[in-house]
Amino acid sequence: MFEHVLLGGHASHPFSLEIPAHHTVAVLGDEDSGVGLLGGYALGLDRPAAGRALAFDTDVGALPGPERLAFRRRVGYLPAGDGLLQNLSLRDNVALPLRFGSGASPREIEGRVNVMLTAVRLAAVGGLRPSQANEEERRRAALARAIAFDPTLLVLEQPFDGLTARVASELLELARGGESAEGARRTIFITGQEIPPLLLRRVEQVYRLTRAGMLEPETV
Amino acid sequence: MTDALSLLGGRAARRLSRLGALARFGFGALRAATQLTAAGRAVAIRIGVNQVRFTALHAVGLVTLLSGILSFLVISQATRELGRIGATDLIGTLIVVAIVRELGPLITALVVAGRSGTAIAAELATNQVLGEVRALEAMGIDPKQYLVLPRLAGSLVSMFTLLVVFDLVAVLAGYAATSLNGMSGGRYFDIVLTSLRARDVWLTVLKALAFGIIVGVVPSYFGLAVRRAPTEIPIAASRAVVSAIVGIFLCSALFVALG
Repeated sequence: MFEHVLLGGHASHPFSLEIPAHHTVAVLGDEDSGVGLLGGYALGLDRPAAGRALAFDTDVGALPGPERLAFRRRVGYLPAGDGLLQNLSLRDNVALPLRFGSGASPREIEGRVNVMLTAVRLAAVGGLRPSQANEEERRRAALARAIAFDPTLLVLEQPFDGLTARVASELLELARGGESAEGARRTIFITGQEIPPLLLRRVEQVYRLTRAGMLEPETV
Repeated sequence: MTDALSLLGGRAARRLSRLGALARFGFGALRAATQLTAAGRAVAIRIGVNQVRFTALHAVGLVTLLSGILSFLVISQATRELGRIGATDLIGTLIVVAIVRELGPLITALVVAGRSGTAIAAELATNQVLGEVRALEAMGIDPKQYLVLPRLAGSLVSMFTLLVVFDLVAVLAGYAATSLNGMSGGRYFDIVLTSLRARDVWLTVLKALAFGIIVGVVPSYFGLAVRRAPTEIPIAASRAVVSAIVGIFLCSALFVALG
């Protein structure tokens, strides 16, 4: 997925990382390690100083505009700080990618949104605006939005910060989307500073990104 | 001397570069319209309707007030002064050229820029600062389609609607002013209709179109140009409204020069 990627700033070593399908892989690092940039690289939102980031063997950032946008619907993304639209309710935030990017009828979309909200336990508070919801509810809504298209690849940035280990564990299970013969139904790429120890048994590979831009396997 | 020229040249180059970026941004928004899917169009129309509600509907009272007072004052004075020299027929030209064709679009655009231009710039800048624009891109939604296009369309529709309101109220206020000064309604409307030519209507429509584009594009550009600092939001709003007002006046002067 990441080929000879060189992060800006202090980084002096390019790194490569492949994320096997159906695996959950986490890259952790301090704020100044550049770990926060990896999600944006994977989705082609930003370009690395050197090297390239591929998703489904495609350099998303190199695709022309409309193709790039269409491609991103295949990848779920939970940005750091949730990225929910403040002028929409939690329900409308979850429905937005479906309303904008799917050809489904309004009734089908409403049905799908109801299923998603129930799955993330937000059915009762779906009418709240993000500013009226607590951090846990906002994170749940952001996850529901990220998996709205039922993507096979999910990129999660600091998904568990500020959550209890129980809630974090529940959200990770939802993100994995159940089990298949090969492992989790979805491939998950997590970036952040730390990950709750309770979750480590559900993460196949954990790496730590150093300030110099080197990727080292985390010893658990 | 060389330093001063270099400074001046540098500023002019920066302004030209910003003008180019604005034009690219505007064309990008128009191109985004051609790439909208049916589902995206439905969402964009819903946002556009909300924009029209805020920009046009909520501004009807203000535009009515400004138009009514302006027209009443100008026509009252003109009726008295022109009456003394027996040239009351010129009131028609005054209403059509000065108020309907020139001041109508200008004042309406200033109202829209002041109210909605600031709001658009502040809203989009907030979207940018909170990471919402990035989240939209990550979801496969073009921010130009979701954020800019509905506001541009809303500004265009609102400009036309408010301009019609402004001109109607101006003509009616002119009627009230001339009535109070002893002119019959039949004569007043006869003078106004005689002075009105197709060219005046087209010029007014073209101005509404140009000003609507300025009010839709300029604040969106400045709003989305901010990076991550909340302190940039009021600066973006202020720059947007000042640039939009300057653009409206320059455009108005261009219409007069070319007309």
